[in-house]
Formats: sequence, structure tokens, C-alpha cells
Amino acid sequence: MGRFSAREKENQDRTGATAIARGANHVERKPNMTDRKNETGVTRRSALLSGAGLIGAAAIPALMPRLAFADDPALGNYPVTGDSVFVGINVPLTGTYANAGADEQKGIELAIEHLNNGDDLIKAISSKTTKGVLGKTVVSGVADEQAKADVAVQNATQFITNNKAQVVIGSVSSATAVALNHLAQDKKVLYLPGISGSNDTTGKDCTRYSFRECFYAYSASAALAPVLFKELGKTRKAAYLTPDYTYGHTVFDSMTKFTEAGGWTTATNQLFPLGATDYSAYALNIANSGADTLVVIGFGNDAVNSIKQAKQFGLFDKMTLVVPYMSPFLVQQVGQDLVAGVYAGLDFYWGIGDKFPLAKQFVDKFEAKYGAKPEWGAEAGYMQIALWADAVETAGTFYPPKVIAAYESGKKYADSLVGPVQWRAADHQLIRPVIVVKGKKPGDMKSKDDYYEVVDIVPGDGIMQAPDAFGCKLGDAM
Amino acid sequence: MLNWANFVSQLFNGLVSGALLALISAGLTIIYGTLGVLNLAHGALFMLGGYAGFVAYQETGSFIVAVVVGALFVGVVGIVLERVLIRHFYDRPDEDQILVTFGLGIVLVELVRVGFGSLAQMVPAPEWAAGITRLGFTIYPTYRLVAFGIVAVALLGLYLLLYRTRLGLTVRAGIEDATMVDALGINIQRTFMIVFGIGAMAAGFAGIVNAPIISITPNVGDDILIECFVVVVIGGVGSFPGAIVGGLIAGEIMSLTSMFNPAYSAVMLFAVMALVLVVRPQGLFGTR
Amino acid sequence: MITGRLSGWAAPVILAIILIVGPFVLPLIGANADMMSRILIWGLFGLGFDLLFGYTGLLSFGQSAFYGTGGFIAAYLLVSHRIGDVFLGLAMGTVGAAIVAFLVGLLALRRTGIYFAMITVAFAEMFFFVENSPLSAWTGGENGLPNVPKPAIHIGGFDYAFDTDWRMYGLIAVLFFLGFLVARRIVNSPFGHILTAIRDNPARASAVGHAISRYKLAVFVIAAAYAGLAGGLSGVIQSYMAPDAFTFDTSGQLVMQTIIGGAGTLYGPLIGAAIWLYLRSALQIAGLGPAWKLVLGLVFVLLIVFLRRGIVGGVRDLFGRMRRTPADEIAPVTGSAAPVLHVVEDHTATPRGARPVVLEARGLGKRYGGIVANADIDFAVKEGEIRGIIGPNGAGKSTFFKMLTGEIGPTAGRILLFGGDITGRGVTATSQMGLSKSYQINQLFPKLTVRQNLNIAALARTRGMFRLDLMRHVNQVPELGNDVAETLRLVGLTDKADALVSELTYGEKRRLEIGLALGTGPRILLLDEPLAGMSPQERADTVKLLKQIGRTRTLVVVEHDMDALFGMADRITVFNEGRVLVEGTPGEIQGNARVQEAYLGGVHVA
Repeated sequence: MGRFSAREKENQDRTGATAIARGANHVERKPNMTDRKNETGVTRRSALLSGAGLIGAAAIPALMPRLAFADDPALGNYPVTGDSVFVGINVPLTGTYANAGADEQKGIELAIEHLNNGDDLIKAISSKTTKGVLGKTVVSGVADEQAKADVAVQNATQFITNNKAQVVIGSVSSATAVALNHLAQDKKVLYLPGISGSNDTTGKDCTRYSFRECFYAYSASAALAPVLFKELGKTRKAAYLTPDYTYGHTVFDSMTKFTEAGGWTTATNQLFPLGATDYSAYALNIANSGADTLVVIGFGNDAVNSIKQAKQFGLFDKMTLVVPYMSPFLVQQVGQDLVAGVYAGLDFYWGIGDKFPLAKQFVDKFEAKYGAKPEWGAEAGYMQIALWADAVETAGTFYPPKVIAAYESGKKYADSLVGPVQWRAADHQLIRPVIVVKGKKPGDMKSKDDYYEVVDIVPGDGIMQAPDAFGCKLGDAM
Repeated sequence: MLNWANFVSQLFNGLVSGALLALISAGLTIIYGTLGVLNLAHGALFMLGGYAGFVAYQETGSFIVAVVVGALFVGVVGIVLERVLIRHFYDRPDEDQILVTFGLGIVLVELVRVGFGSLAQMVPAPEWAAGITRLGFTIYPTYRLVAFGIVAVALLGLYLLLYRTRLGLTVRAGIEDATMVDALGINIQRTFMIVFGIGAMAAGFAGIVNAPIISITPNVGDDILIECFVVVVIGGVGSFPGAIVGGLIAGEIMSLTSMFNPAYSAVMLFAVMALVLVVRPQGLFGTR
Repeated sequence: MITGRLSGWAAPVILAIILIVGPFVLPLIGANADMMSRILIWGLFGLGFDLLFGYTGLLSFGQSAFYGTGGFIAAYLLVSHRIGDVFLGLAMGTVGAAIVAFLVGLLALRRTGIYFAMITVAFAEMFFFVENSPLSAWTGGENGLPNVPKPAIHIGGFDYAFDTDWRMYGLIAVLFFLGFLVARRIVNSPFGHILTAIRDNPARASAVGHAISRYKLAVFVIAAAYAGLAGGLSGVIQSYMAPDAFTFDTSGQLVMQTIIGGAGTLYGPLIGAAIWLYLRSALQIAGLGPAWKLVLGLVFVLLIVFLRRGIVGGVRDLFGRMRRTPADEIAPVTGSAAPVLHVVEDHTATPRGARPVVLEARGLGKRYGGIVANADIDFAVKEGEIRGIIGPNGAGKSTFFKMLTGEIGPTAGRILLFGGDITGRGVTATSQMGLSKSYQINQLFPKLTVRQNLNIAALARTRGMFRLDLMRHVNQVPELGNDVAETLRLVGLTDKADALVSELTYGEKRRLEIGLALGTGPRILLLDEPLAGMSPQERADTVKLLKQIGRTRTLVVVEHDMDALFGMADRITVFNEGRVLVEGTPGEIQGNARVQEAYLGGVHVA
């Protein structure tokens, strides 16, 4: 646009918005241009300036976001038209993580139902909710991301473009969560991971448009270690069975950091490729390592197979099993025998309903609707929706930067499905407790779902790393 | 510095996992050898055996019944598939056969997912086979030894079938020259059907025998299929002894590599497979 | 494959219209810019794959290796800021994928059929592993590479960033269109015609003088280049390069989409991708949830069973067997009908004794372990001669012929062609030097027309063993039309020029078989039982044809029809038990007692 735009900016600064709108007329009084009228009565200066005005008018849309207008400008999928608001549910429904994905979907859909009905449970978390969100009905759609990052990105893009989603939610693998973190930042639409255990999701791959509710490698390890010291002592020798990818490595790093600080030694670290089915080689190595504690880091089917085979190789005769980051539906797939005596970290367990009345309400309502108790994916989904609704209601608008500001305001939630929680503005990680459980012996179970005894509910404050420890640099909100 | 106890345990372990692979691959190889069809649905048949056995186990609580039902069910499925679908592809180019079995594999997996969901299903080892056995140099799950025994018996049975019966003679002749067998007046159509059934049954049998070791999910057969390719390539396409030797070799490759660097154990297989294909594509025992 | 094809400019124009109109129409059924861009990316990926599989018959389940390689090279260079311009990054990814494919192809293409398919699977799995583990510092391992920048153009003061979905669509549509034009050009080039010959009958394509391994390597690299570009675009479009690019699933999806749309059509993969991606989304929206894959799998199987040539193939069949339009065909010869088959002049004038020996075997032998197929064969044919070879079954005649053409290598002795030693040079080189064979069992290109069959032979003559003439239209090959027309005339198939091989009678096929051998412009023509299976009339016609051909060429004919052979040959060589029994004029042989004994198994005159 050359020198016209420079002049235009000058005028804009001096005379404000209206000068641009009216174009050339108001800036004719510049003294430093010689008037030379031709036959039509138009001076060269006026011609230049009216041209500048036209270009300036055309430039309004490009310049708009920088101006302080009364209404929030369009950003991402804001503003919301119509009387409904769309939530995109993006979970794996086929492939290895399908059962966790389906569970997440159920929790999310229950939360949405509660929002639309103004259910007490969700109002206990999102206090300003009456019906829907800001009066708009919440509608949702589900897409199968097959635990593949590019399918997840494709689904999310469709939700954003076709359905004008205000928020996309869901994940089981950290790889998809990370990919969607970046997409959210790019498209300026909020993204809420469901299950994501890697430190990096609110570490080096954190973004301004993403907020993680669930626990993760560092907090799981930090919460678990003291319990392990108390129950098992400080001089254990641990063997690790670690899946060879980022999530596995972060859990291993965090666990060894905390356990070794207390005096444990690491006898061996058996790295296996993601998706391995035969663990005999690793089991043999572990059996020969002299360890007395087995830490299983695998997730999903990897956890199921490795634990089953560890049992078959008799490892549990002399070792205690520790699962720092336990995947949903593990016990249903390996059987209670194998989890008897296991120490595990969970995001949620229905048994904490004894301590947290909201949790009990959640479990009851979930069971009433779906006929089974919720796993922690469902709780993560429910919490994310509830907290999002609260942030929007607090902000009073769907405009993303303001919603983000509401998230980042440091508000303390007195109660939730897992007790008191608070968002940490610096890395968008929810400060929330980790549930440490111990597997019950089959004979001690009082009902068919009575898998665990709750050993400790470790509050979030003490178990989180410094916000920049994992290299989090949040981007811009705009 | 090599840990000998470890080494020997891994050697033994490779034998056991190799035997299972050998059985599944034997099925694949006789199907290819006789019918000329590379059955990309073989992994799905393995998975189907696990699920059929699982259902039988749920109903009866008996592991033996589960194994029998699992194997027979998949054998029947194999026969039906051959009659209804595969038969029409003998005259079509190789690629078409690969494609239709590939598609079939996907359909079978997804059918099971729709029917049973994605949760891993459990089939516990029978009481008499649970627990640990001390083998001097190592401890080893009793069930794996039992499974090894069962698989060895099955392979023996297959061997006897192929080398000591009339049917087996026809099958082996058909592997060498199906047209000739047909020209000699033997009902080659019926033979093909039976061969496909037997090959499928081998896979299904392996599927249910393996279920107490690996949890069964709809996708459990995917990796098995690719490992079978490797076995069949190493041993020689169409060769029964090749499948056995190839299976044991593949099992050992995976076991021994995992001693040094577990991440490389799968890729080592593929590297060996590529090497064999480039240098001696007919494998150790193959003739084609 | 050829029937129903759109002529000349129709296909690109229709494609351009679809690409331009699509954005206005397709959103009505729920497709958005992002989905359409992804469909085009798969279509681009599929263009290369179709050249490889649809046109050359190489079924690869490992294209994901190159898709991923191109994608990650581009993404890595851009994300690490080693390269600033996205277009340059994409180009480097494409080139990288092509180079990698060259190396992989050197190994993988040594085998064919299922072995080739299995090698591609093995390589794809190895690439996936390498991306995930050893190279994870560069590739991000299972997390992939986020923050891949969007492309932009900066020329002078003109800045244009492709940062909206529609702009990306526009860019990708243009790239696809260009890719399509290039692929189409390749298909219509002589190179492309030889690819289809390789698909239909690789042995014969090689035997008429084409170095098929080089063609296969070339198309393998081209397919990988398309894959690499598509992979790079996939990273750019979602600002994220996913490791799933390398999985077996990616290769499998490509294969399925191509089959559904129709292989060997170039737009088949695009249609297949549209159906797959659209249905995957629509089925889930319709509430089928995880059953979407079951539905698509069933569709795939049904198509393979009933509609093997896919949607496009089915549509073409529906519109009947439209004759090929001239633009796709070799322009028929006009003007002078002078035979231009590059043959030497009529020999019948030159005295026999003065003619040079053109083909010779010295001490030639072949053993297979303990079995001796040929031994101590001394054989010499003079220029312009018509030599007959007879002998009982199992005498080693076919083996001898195969050694002459270079199909098999001898275990003893030498073969000289025009005085030069060609022992072990292989069938392609031998053919290029002017020796060709017509087979006992027809070795034609079954899916091509008569004219196209002859093109394949003629193209070997004019272009040599290998030429990378991808961009030239086959019509522009000089003299091709004339050559082929002349051959058609010679074998009497001019009026059947555009018929498919499957439509010919057996006798016509035999004549085409001879025509194929002739079409390479050989100076020496070997004929293996040319009269086999013919009716008496056909035999008479063929003998006339052979005599006519023999006026300007040297012929060596193996035949069991003694009457016919004795009527046209100058000399006869008799084979028995792998050796030459006797040689002489037809008259001498007819009365030879040893020959009779060999045939009748030793009848002793008392």
C-alpha cells in the first residue's frame, strides 16, 4: 500500500477512527501540499487523499482487531450465532484405546446433558450455570480419531470449520493431545485434552488455547512416591517396564527422580516397543534383575499384556506391582487376582465418593444413565466440560481471550468431583489431587466393582513441578 | 559380557514363541502353496479363533472345550470363505487375491469389534496349567510350556496329515502342480476347500491357545500376520518344513535381539525378511 | 482400460471444472475446504501409486515409506528453520523421497508379484521404526513435528500467504491439477505405453527389447515423488506432520482407495479418496460410530468381487466399449506406403555362397544338474537363409532357441551374432541387436489392442532399451505410425488394428505373435512352431507370409509340420537328444535314415 497507508495511519492516529471512514475530506487541510486545480476541480492532493481514503476504508477489516471496539471482534469461531453452542468430541472409538475413548465420551455427554438441564451436580462446579452455557443449548458431535494424530487433527478441523465448535475436547494418547494443542492455538478455538499423561502436554507443547485437567507423569510420581516409602520402605529395588515413547520416558524419569531421592535403586529399565504383545524377554530380564518392585508404565493393552505375562512368569511372587499411571479398565481386563496388592495412581476412582459428595453424585448419576461405574476418563471429560462452562459464564462471553483470562484468573474451586481444584495460569494445568489406591484381594471385595482401597488422596499443591520446568511457553491469546 | 543364564532363557523362550508362529505360518504356507492365494486375512482368523474359544469358555468354563470349539469354528469359517469367496479368485491375477483377502481381514476384524467391543477379553489358563515351572536355568510359566506342548502336538498332527494320508498326498501334490492333480481326475476343488479349512483351523487353534498369554482384542491378529509373512519368506513359500524352521528362527531373532536392544526386535525381523527376499526369495526350503 | 477413455483435452478440462466448482457445491453435502484439500492430497498420492500399480502392475503396500519420508524431510527443514520457503521445503521433500525410493527400488524391484508386495511391507515397517526410534530427535518420534508453517509467496512487494483453508485448497487444487497433467503426459508417452506392456506381459516386453527393470525403477521413483509431495502437503495443511504417515494403515488405505475408485485411470484414486473420506465422516455423523470401518471394508470387498475396475472402470463399462479417439492413438500412416521396416534389400539375388554368417553357435551346451538339454551344438546360419529345425519332442530345440535369444544362458559354448559374441547378454540386449523370436505359445499383451501391441515392439526399435521420454506424446515418435502400419499390412491385420487381443481368432493371434517379433525390425527372426494349432488354410497363408518375410530377413524356424517346413526352408537342421544329428537340404534330410530312426525310435531295416 506504500505511502498512502503511512499517511492514513498518521491521520488515524490524529483524528481517530472516523477519519478513515470519511476518507479524504477531513484531511484536506494539510498545508504542505501545493494546490493545483485542474479543470475538474480536483486537486492532485485531493485525488491522492481520496484514493488513500478508499484504500483505508478497504483496510478497515485488516486493522480492526487492533482497535478497541465496544464488541469483541471475531476470533476463531466467535461470535456464536444461533441459540446453540457446539462442542466437538474427538475420542478414539476404534483401535487400542477405544474403551477409554468411549468412556470419555460418556462422561462428556453426561456433563453436556447436565448443563442443558441445569443439573445440581454441574452447578456445584459451574455456579453461574442456569441452563446451557450463557443461555445457549450445548450441542455436540462425536468423531473417531482412531488414536491417530492426523485423524484427530482432521476431525477437529471439521468440527471447527463445519460445526463452528467453540471447544474441542477429548484424547487418550498424548501424541494426539499435543497435535491438537497446536491446532487449537492455530485456529483460536479452545481444546481440552481428556486423558494425556505426558509431561509435555503442559510442558514444552503447552499452548494458550489448551487446558489439561487430568494428572500426569510428574504429579503421579510425586504423589505416589511418599505412599510407596510409607508402605514399602525406602530401600526397594525397582525394575521398570517402560514403553519406548515420550509418555513412557516421562513417567520413568519422574518416577526414578522421586523414588531414588528417597533411597530406592533402579535395578533395570526394560524398554519395549509400543504395542508389543510378547513380554517374555523383558519378564525374564526382570526376574533376573534382583528387583523386589515392578513398576509397569505401559498404557492400555500394553499394561494388560505386560501385567498378565509378568504374573505368568511368577514375578509377583517376589515383587510388588506399582502402576504409577493406571489406564482405565485395567482391572476389568486382567482380573482382580493380578491387581491384588498393586499400588496405583488414578485420576479418579468411584470409591472416593465416600470423601467427596460430588464424586458420589457423579458416580450415581453416571451409573443410572449408563449402567456401569465411570472410569477416570469419564470423570476427566465431565470435569473439563464443567470447568469450561464455569469459565465461560465467569467471562460472560464466548470470546476466547476473555474465556482464557477467566481460566487464568486463579479462581479456587471449593469443590469438584475430586475436591478443591484450581487452574494454574502459567502452564494451564489444573492443580488437583492424585488418587493413590491399593488393589484389594478378591476375598476382600464387598461388591463387584470394589477393586481398590483408597490409600491416599494427595492434594495437588505439593505434587507439581515449577511451571517452566518442562519448558512451557504459552502463546498469545490473539 | 554376556549373561549366560539370560541368554539360555531367551534361547528357550524364542523356541516357545517360535513354535506358535510356526503353527500359524504353516497354515498360511499350505494355503499359498496349494491354492496360490496369499491369505491376508490369516491374522483375522487367528483373532477369530481366540474369540470363538472365549465364547465357548464363557459358556462351558472348560478350556479344552474352548480350544476345540475355537479351532473347529475357524476351520468351518475357512471352508465357507473358500467356497463362497476365494474360489472365484483362482483365475484372477495375484493382486486381486491379495486385495480380496486384505479386505476380508478388515471386515472380520471390524465385525468382531462391533460384536464384542474393543475391550480385551480374558481367557484364563486352565488350573492344571497355571503357575511356574522351575527349569534349572530359568523359571518359566507353566502354561507356556503346556502351550508349546499343545502346539508341538498340533504341528505333529499336521505333519502326519500332510505326509501320511491320502489327503495329505493330494495336498502336497497340489502344492507342486495343482493343474496336474486336477488332470489326474482328483477333485481338486474339494481339496482346495479342505486345505483352506485346515490352514484356517491352524490359525484359529493358535489363536485360542495363545489367548491366556496375550489378551484378545479385535486387532490382536494384525502384528501376527506380518510376523507370519516373515516366517513364510524365510522358510520358503509353500513349504511346511520351511514354516516350522522359519517360525523357530523368527522366534529366536525376536528373543535374542531383545536381549541387546528390545526396540529393535521387531525391525530385525523385517531386515532379515528384506534380506532373504533380495538374496534368496525362495527361502530356505521353497521351490517357487 | 482403454475403452471409454476421454479424449485429449476432455479429461483435464472436466477435472478443472470439478476443482473449480467443487468448493461451491460440495459444502452443501457437508464437505469443507479442509476435507477437500485432504481428498486432493490423497488423490495426488494416488496418482503416483496408480502409475505404479494401475499402469505397471506393481502392487506396493509400502508407499507410506515415501509419503512419510517426503513429509518429514519437508517438515523438519521448515520447523527447524533450515529452510524458510515452504515451497522449497516441499520440493526438497519430494526429491528426498525420490532418492530414497531409488535406493529401495534397487533392492525391492528384484522381485515381482507377492514377493515384491512383501518386500514393500518389510521396508515400510522398517521406515516406520526408524522414524519412531533412531531418528526421533529429528522426527519427533511418536509425537511428530508440530508448527509446520503455511506456504506464502513473496515476489517483489507482492505478499500472499496461504493461511486460510480455502487458499490452501486453491493451492493444493493447482498442484493436483499439475500433477494430473504430468501423470497423464507420462501415460500417453512411449514410456507410459511400455509400462502397460510390463503390466501385461513383462517377459515379452523384455524380449522385444525393453530394459524393463529400468522402467520399473523409474516409475517406482516417480510414484515415490508423488508420495513425497503429498506427504509434505499433509504436514503443511494441518501445520503438523504426523508419524502415522509411516504406518502400514496409510499404505493400506491408499490401496483400498485406488481400488474403489478404479486403478489404471489416474482419477480413480481421487474418487476413491473422496468416497473414503466423505463416507468415513458421514457414516460417523449418521451415528454408526466405530462401525464405519466395517461398512467401508464391506464396500471394498464387494467392489473387488464385482466391480474390479472400481467406480471409474464400472462407469466406463457402462458407457460401452467406446472406440478410442484418434488423439490417444498413433496417427495412421498417410501418404507413401513405402515399407520402412529398415531391412536389408532382397537377398534372393545374391548367391548363397557369398552371404556372410549372421548367427552362429559354437560348442553350445546346456545342462541342468545332471540333465543335459543341449550339448556340442555347432550351428551357423547365413544371411537371408531360411533355416528349418526339426526333431522329436525333447530334442532340445526349445532350449536351444532360448539360448539363442538370451532367455537362458548356456553352460558351455558361445553364440555369435553378426560376428560378435552375445553369449549371456540377455534377451533385451539381443533383441536390440536385431534378433527376435516369435513364441510357440502366444506371448501377447492381452489388454492392449493389436496396434498397441505392435507399438510396444516398434518403440523398442526406435528408442532403444530405455529412454526416459516421459513428456513426449507417443504420437510424436517419428515413423512409429508408419512402422506399425507396415507390420500390420505384412501380417494382414490392418483391418483389426484397433481390436483387442481378446477379440481375435486364434489364427489372428498367431499372426499378431509373428507381427510382434517382426515389429522390432529384426534382421534375424526365430520362429518357434509358428504354425502350431492352425487350420490348413491358415498354414498356407502363414507359409506365404514367412516366405515373404524371408526375402528380406534371415529366418530360423522350428516346426513339426514337415511339409510346410520343407516347402520353404533352404536348409534343415535336425536335433536329437540335445545334439545336432544332421544338417542338409530338405531333400537330403527327407531321405536320411538316421533322421527316420530318430523320429520313429529306431526301426531297423533288416
